[in-house]
Amino acid sequence: MLCIHSMYSGINISQTDARPMYLQILEQIRARVAAGDWPAGKELPSIRALAAALNVSVITIKRAYLDLENEGVIVTRHGKGSFVADVNGLAGELREAQLDEHLAEAAEIGRQLGLTEEDLAARLRRVHRNLDKK
Amino acid sequence: MNTLTRKLIAKELYVNRGFMVIGSAAGIVSILIATQGQIGFNIGCLTWLTTIIAMGVMLAIYGVMHERKEHSLEFVLSLPVSIADYVRAKVIGLWICFLVVWLVSSVAALLLVFLKESVPDGIAPYTVLLCGFMLANFGVLLCGMFEARSEAASTAMIVVTNMGISVFMFTVGPMNGIKQTMWNAAPSWNETFWIVLGCELAVLLASFALPFFLSARRRDFF
Amino acid sequence: MDNKHIEMRGVRKNFQFFTLDNLSLDLEAGEVMGFVGPNGAGKSTTLRLAMGMIAPDAGEIRLMGHAIPAAQAAAKRDVGYVSADMRLLPQATFGWHMEFAKSIYPEWDGGYAATLVKRFNLRPEQSARSLSLGERVKAVLLLALARRPRLLILDEPTTGLDPVARHEVISEFMDVLRDDDRSILFSSHNTVDVERISDRITFIDRGRIVECSNKEDFLDRWRRIHVQLPAGASLPELPNIVGRVVDGQFVTLTTDRYSEGLRTLIGPYVREVQRMNLEEIFVANVMHCREVRGS
Repeated sequence: MLCIHSMYSGINISQTDARPMYLQILEQIRARVAAGDWPAGKELPSIRALAAALNVSVITIKRAYLDLENEGVIVTRHGKGSFVADVNGLAGELREAQLDEHLAEAAEIGRQLGLTEEDLAARLRRVHRNLDKK
Repeated sequence: MNTLTRKLIAKELYVNRGFMVIGSAAGIVSILIATQGQIGFNIGCLTWLTTIIAMGVMLAIYGVMHERKEHSLEFVLSLPVSIADYVRAKVIGLWICFLVVWLVSSVAALLLVFLKESVPDGIAPYTVLLCGFMLANFGVLLCGMFEARSEAASTAMIVVTNMGISVFMFTVGPMNGIKQTMWNAAPSWNETFWIVLGCELAVLLASFALPFFLSARRRDFF
Repeated sequence: MDNKHIEMRGVRKNFQFFTLDNLSLDLEAGEVMGFVGPNGAGKSTTLRLAMGMIAPDAGEIRLMGHAIPAAQAAAKRDVGYVSADMRLLPQATFGWHMEFAKSIYPEWDGGYAATLVKRFNLRPEQSARSLSLGERVKAVLLLALARRPRLLILDEPTTGLDPVARHEVISEFMDVLRDDDRSILFSSHNTVDVERISDRITFIDRGRIVECSNKEDFLDRWRRIHVQLPAGASLPELPNIVGRVVDGQFVTLTTDRYSEGLRTLIGPYVREVQRMNLEEIFVANVMHCREVRGS
């Protein structure tokens, strides 16, 4: 079976996904950095090269790279390109950021259901205890 | 004339190569038929006339009308040409296509007149005028096709120029200088002949030149 | 230095039943612009005006820096134009057309052309007359792409193409963008493609440009807000609402300027806030414009 090893072919954008395209790219790059597949110092493909490879507009890639830079995941050196940031504990930071996102979603649903802060905390404790039991 | 205009003219010739070959062949064959006795002569003349008229009409229709309808006009206009270049190349290209058929057929007809004994040489001036008329007629048709702004107008042009042949035969045939000398043994290049020829030439040149001043100046082609 | 590939200012064109009015459009080098609008809005007319095939009644047009239609021959050297209803010369083969293009354009890349012939599944010996719709579109695209023009103007370039062919074609377009001096202006009903590859989107409706923005900003601004109003409750005055559908307790609002502030204004009644894809925005936008215009 033919296995294609490529820097871009794993990155995939679904237009039926509710999340915006730039966000999908951003998350997939973040995941690769967190997993170590894209190690610190690795050069990212140029914006235009990635755009052409993924069949996505340049502006979408630009936005993803901009947000990644604001998050500290990548560093852009003017005229030289973009590189995976060399920051210690980055993987941990990313995971924590992910946790915060999930918690925010949960809080939102709680609010829609009309739960108070205590209700929400109680539910979280219950789930946490169940995890320990497994 | 720039290279692109030349290439477009070459394209016109390439695209109409079928007409040129068939038309020329049909013209020659018609004359050959015309050598076969009185009946052959009548049939031959008829097919000779039909060939030249038909070729003219086909070139006008396929060359101008169809290209507009069939959207291949967009393809040509997407090339680095101006509308003026396009019209110039079209006019010159289609004229060359017709001239090939016309020249072959006219020369064949004149050869018939001068070489065949049963055909009196006196008919030569009339033949020349007839050939000249066909050429001028094509010129008017082509010019009309360019300037026509609707399919109805184009069709009207075709009908009118087709009728022109009959009109020619009924007006020029009986003319004083022509009728009397037609059946003589020697051709009579008299005043009437030159006047009619002059008119034909004028119409020819005007019809050739007109699109260069009208259509070529158009700023819209859709 | 201004490096605009297309500049249109205040362009007007009158037809018997339709007028293109006050059209202004800019295309920068390195950019992909999607041109979207209902049928009869004036997309094809605009593209033909840009190419000098039609002359405007008012306004200015510049193509690759050249004044149009005066210098159209020079401008078109660098422009590849493809329209879905364009046809090749019926009395010639596709191969002839490739040779013809090669003889006209010095930038013709024979190797790339050969690659595309295979990729698009075309045969040079085919007569232009015998091409199916999809083959014809691919053939005309090939003739434009193989020249590597700096600007591609495309009118419905994916018409009649099956999904695989569409993917191949879009990949070739995106390949063009590797060079930041090349640009694409394309009109399409395929909003999925437009949404994916455009940097900027221009909406046209009934001869007027309704909107022209950066795609990401555009997609960011539009939302559908699903609201549930219990009995007796009502919504406050809300800004920037361009659509409102009421079904009993359930109200669906469409906004073209979403912000957290708007959400707060609606308060606890919000059930869900959804992003909209380009097709939904397109329809909502056109409906709204027509309402505003009172037609």
